[in-house]
Amino acid sequence: MALRSPDPIVETAPPARRRITRRQALAAAVATGIGVGAARLVGGTIQNISRSSSATGTDWVSPLGRESAQVMHLLRRTTFGYTPAQLDTALSDGYTKTVDRLLETKPQEPPALTAASVPGGRFAVQQLQQWWVDHMLTSATPFAERMTLFWHGHFTSDYRKAADNTFMYWQNLTWRRMALTNLRSMLMEVTTDPAMLRYLDLATSTGANPNENYSRELMELFTMGAGNYTEEDVRQSAKALAGWQIPPPDSTATVTVDQAKMVTRKLPVYSTQRPGVFNQRRAYKGTVTFLGHTGPLDTQGVIDRILAQQATASFIASRVAEHFVTSQPAASYISRLADPFRRSKYDMKALMHAVFTSPEFTAGGSYRALLKSPTEFMVHGARALGAHGIGKLIVASGSGMGQSLFDPPDVSGWPNNAAWISSNTVVERVNFVTLALGQAKGSLPSAGDAAKTQLDGVLSPQTATLLNQAPDERSRWFITLASPEFQLK
Amino acid sequence: MNSKEIGINQLKRRDFLRAGLVFGAGAAGLAAGYAAVPDAFARAVYAAKQNGIANDNVLVMIQLAGGNDGLRTLVPLSDPTLHDMRPKLAGPMVSQALPLNKDYGLNHNLGGIKGLWDKGKVAIVQGVGYQNPTFSHFESIRIWETGDPTRRSVEGWLGRTLAKAYDSNGHPLTGCACGATDVPGALRDLQATMTVIQNQKTFGFTGGSEVEAAVGALYKGTPGIYGALFDTAIATANDTIATLRTSSASYQPMADYSDKVKLVYSSKNQLAAALQLGAELIVTGTGVKLLHVTLGGFDTHYTELNRHDDLMGYLDSAVSAFYQDLEAHGKADKVLIATWSEFGRRPKENASGGTDHGAAAPLLLMGDPVKSGLYGAEPSLTNLDSTGNLKYAVDFRSVYQEILGGHLGADSNDILGGSFDRVDFLRAPVAV
Repeated sequence: MALRSPDPIVETAPPARRRITRRQALAAAVATGIGVGAARLVGGTIQNISRSSSATGTDWVSPLGRESAQVMHLLRRTTFGYTPAQLDTALSDGYTKTVDRLLETKPQEPPALTAASVPGGRFAVQQLQQWWVDHMLTSATPFAERMTLFWHGHFTSDYRKAADNTFMYWQNLTWRRMALTNLRSMLMEVTTDPAMLRYLDLATSTGANPNENYSRELMELFTMGAGNYTEEDVRQSAKALAGWQIPPPDSTATVTVDQAKMVTRKLPVYSTQRPGVFNQRRAYKGTVTFLGHTGPLDTQGVIDRILAQQATASFIASRVAEHFVTSQPAASYISRLADPFRRSKYDMKALMHAVFTSPEFTAGGSYRALLKSPTEFMVHGARALGAHGIGKLIVASGSGMGQSLFDPPDVSGWPNNAAWISSNTVVERVNFVTLALGQAKGSLPSAGDAAKTQLDGVLSPQTATLLNQAPDERSRWFITLASPEFQLK
Repeated sequence: MNSKEIGINQLKRRDFLRAGLVFGAGAAGLAAGYAAVPDAFARAVYAAKQNGIANDNVLVMIQLAGGNDGLRTLVPLSDPTLHDMRPKLAGPMVSQALPLNKDYGLNHNLGGIKGLWDKGKVAIVQGVGYQNPTFSHFESIRIWETGDPTRRSVEGWLGRTLAKAYDSNGHPLTGCACGATDVPGALRDLQATMTVIQNQKTFGFTGGSEVEAAVGALYKGTPGIYGALFDTAIATANDTIATLRTSSASYQPMADYSDKVKLVYSSKNQLAAALQLGAELIVTGTGVKLLHVTLGGFDTHYTELNRHDDLMGYLDSAVSAFYQDLEAHGKADKVLIATWSEFGRRPKENASGGTDHGAAAPLLLMGDPVKSGLYGAEPSLTNLDSTGNLKYAVDFRSVYQEILGGHLGADSNDILGGSFDRVDFLRAPVAV
């Protein structure tokens, strides 16, 4: 790669609006960039925008006044990027119809993971990770994968403690299938999900001597948020929830787990996915007082008490807004989302529709206000390059950026936005681009349009300069994908 | 320097989203704050230098993430109540413990640390916690990270130390998180520069100096709310790469670091490798002052017996190698190693053979700077709080205060926003 640092930028008067070539536009963008911070490049014309001598006004100049930019913004936040054909379809459909299509198109199922039939789910987690990433790279319904990823971070489990990668696989299938259903059924599903039963210990809790782990996180991280329940509520619902166990397998297989010492173990074999089973003998027999209600309470009762709390709809709406709209949603915005969500009996599709059609979603302040998670960044980059065969590289590269799928840092899933930026993660992001370009087979798609189609033509002076100076397609792709613009969504 | 004026030091790792603490008000104001950062920030840090620290002492904080069981770390040997509360867990842990005196012993897998104790290099502060404890991991982690039980602060206590007491600008290794990918909450403060190195062997730009230069040019004056963060991260990475290039060449480990330690669940964190990197940074004179490493897996709600013992063994082997390495390089007298964890665990065990979230627990302070012994007071197993948890005897900020003032020589009152009871665990405190 032959890149050189840009020459010192000399301030020149911005040109008046006129038709110019792309190359001239890029050069001009640099020239006008001084003191502006961000230049806006639209359809080959350069506009002189908010020229200010103050050093304090540097923000991206939002193009979201235009519907075409809104459509690209929507696709960036709901898919893993788009091919030119997909973008053309969305642009001709327009914003509203594209939202409907995202929400109404049935998810494309991933191919069955054959390793899932290995006794005890004892197959490498990398197989599971790559199975999912490969599907993200090629799926015709990437929104389903984005929602699955959202729920994987929300109702999260970790393969280490679940200790059965078949269970982790099932959990992934569950969130894809249920992503746009309703919170009530999802909460029943997550409570009885085998990987979750292991991960948060409900599988070993008893009414006589309850384990509080799941009870606490169900309220703190999955539904209500800290401060909306008491320690007594945690203890009481731990009693009420006890009794669930891992489902019995169809059969067992004797497997050598340690070749050297010839250790064998009987491991479970499942022919189909199934939820946990309830064992009445391990359940709590008495009454509990939970969130202000006293009486006998089963699991559905616990969930319904939680859904009766005002805090629940707001908490879920906040998590969705932080993930899809802004790192700091206003309280008034959250209540505008939460109230109808509650009235819809917690219909996730209705909530997502409300989010995507809210003014906040396409407001100028929302432009590039979110950071792509490592998985989003890598899959988006690979799809932009048409490099669908680099799933293995994506799997191997996630950890250095802070995101290994099926292996969240803790029970709160992954952080968002600013927390993705450190000296370690930025180096790893750049390295991924270098390696991805090295592995991309054959000729790359033209990088000529990338600044416009991938980055809306809204470039920092530095990005514009370097793109302009880049000697070849590979260098232009490097600058595009390694740029700060491409890290944002 | 009033951090509130800049209003951009809200980079909290964990809770900032849920707590609505991101970046103050509005993207525009935010961008304004950010755009002003580099210069104002550099000047502020430069100004702070006049009150800065002149010694070359180093602090290594080891986070035992998930809530470390204090009763299995420093084991009460003669309290019969323990056996009633922990029918499955108490027996072996008491019978196998390594006695420090007639009443307390260390977990049997802490043999290396017991060896340090025998040489007078381990202080244990018992019953550390704070008033009205929260049992949420994330709230309590934030409290320990910020040093603020009211949960209003967003900067980390080590981040504030970096910003107030050191000139970290242009010296990215003054504060370093080893073995991590993100900045730990304890180190966060936008007025300070710190680096994060997950794996030293792979830290650097693939493609070398050309990529380094291109990326350096690409990330300058980046607009938007994340602009300054990005630019700082890239500049810090480049400075760090340059420093590591020379340090790695002149360092030979003088101990056997291994992360191939048996654990019930494989570890997300390579503690030994992280500490080895820490040793390299210390030994080669990179100017490192505050190091942070993490070992996860302490949330032992389930089958705690083997899991916790294994984690103790992992901790012990990594810390022992680290101390041995520092000693062989003649640096042990400068380095204080301290553990922290968001809470201890419930004295009464649960049906899963584990323990739920607790409160007060002991902290280990290790290295030549400590005055060996037991400090604080072991909380009573028969006088529990209303949640069935151990009552604290020593506010965690008392320990921070001693570390800041006594070991680093920083103005602990300024950093912690108050003063606390002394816990006199240092051999020769430099200030206070």
